Amino acid sequence: MRSVSPGLLLTALLAAAGFVLVPQLIVAAPQEPVMGFVQKIFYFHVPCASLLFLSTFACAAGSIAYLFKGSEAGDRLAVSSAELAVLFGACTLITGPLWGRKAWGVWWQWDARLTSSLLLELMMVAYLLARRYAGPAGRKLSAALALFAAIDVPLVYKSVDIWRTVHPRTTVVPTLDARMRPAFWSAFALMILLWSVLLAVRLRLERARAELAALRIDVEDLTESAA
Amino acid sequence: MRRLWLAVAALAGTFAPALARAQEFVKVEGAPRQEMPAAPFVAAAYSVIWVLVLAYVIVLARGIARVRKEAAELRARLDREAPPGRPRAAS
Repeated sequence: MRSVSPGLLLTALLAAAGFVLVPQLIVAAPQEPVMGFVQKIFYFHVPCASLLFLSTFACAAGSIAYLFKGSEAGDRLAVSSAELAVLFGACTLITGPLWGRKAWGVWWQWDARLTSSLLLELMMVAYLLARRYAGPAGRKLSAALALFAAIDVPLVYKSVDIWRTVHPRTTVVPTLDARMRPAFWSAFALMILLWSVLLAVRLRLERARAELAALRIDVEDLTESAA
Repeated sequence: MRRLWLAVAALAGTFAPALARAQEFVKVEGAPRQEMPAAPFVAAAYSVIWVLVLAYVIVLARGIARVRKEAAELRARLDREAPPGRPRAAS
């Protein structure tokens, strides 16, 4: 059995410490005067959305390395990041409507931010489906899909400034109340740590699968030479 | 043609006041307010995040365990069946 790397262990310990400290900071942060207590969702909703963007960019970077240089490591990074994009996209798309139901009175609005975010999530799901079910060309097809998804990210981010939407604009974080910043940035750091640990573990799984594939070929060679 | 213009004028005369009223903002007074407690929404949001992350960690752990088990079996088979001159499977 392989040992866990010290860096991974340290990151996991920091993330575990964050689970204890961050909720305390969030509870201690002042309540937003208009929305009240439900605004506390913001402290995890925004980091989840940011990690959806980060994962999509990582997936696109890996896909570019795979498409143009044939890098297997790039392909492993792409598929690992794509899964994380779907995971954090799901977190964003579930926590958002929970916040919206209380703040806006509706679960969902087909406005530019919400619709483009859903589209991004669906593109990352399509990446995974294409990779799994599109046969031999699946890896290249999904890599191309990842590039389109990366193009969608700036559109999702700027949609609230370009179009009139019910969603708050991009000025919320830069103009955040100073007393809310420690809670927000510690939650952000916690989620980044969690993302790093999950990505490292997912990459390890992908490397183990590559080794397993090589072993299967060895066994097939052995069976053929014995026959 | 004159009849058409008369019809248009009659329609405009009928609907113009309604359209003008529709453009005005009229605050609704005395409507019942729907007060929902915020705590269940906040609790649900946090729970969803940690449940999804935990489920993903379990899926990853099971995947790694399955791959390692199969790799160990294949290595054992290679070590057992490989002819003497052939290099052994790397562990």
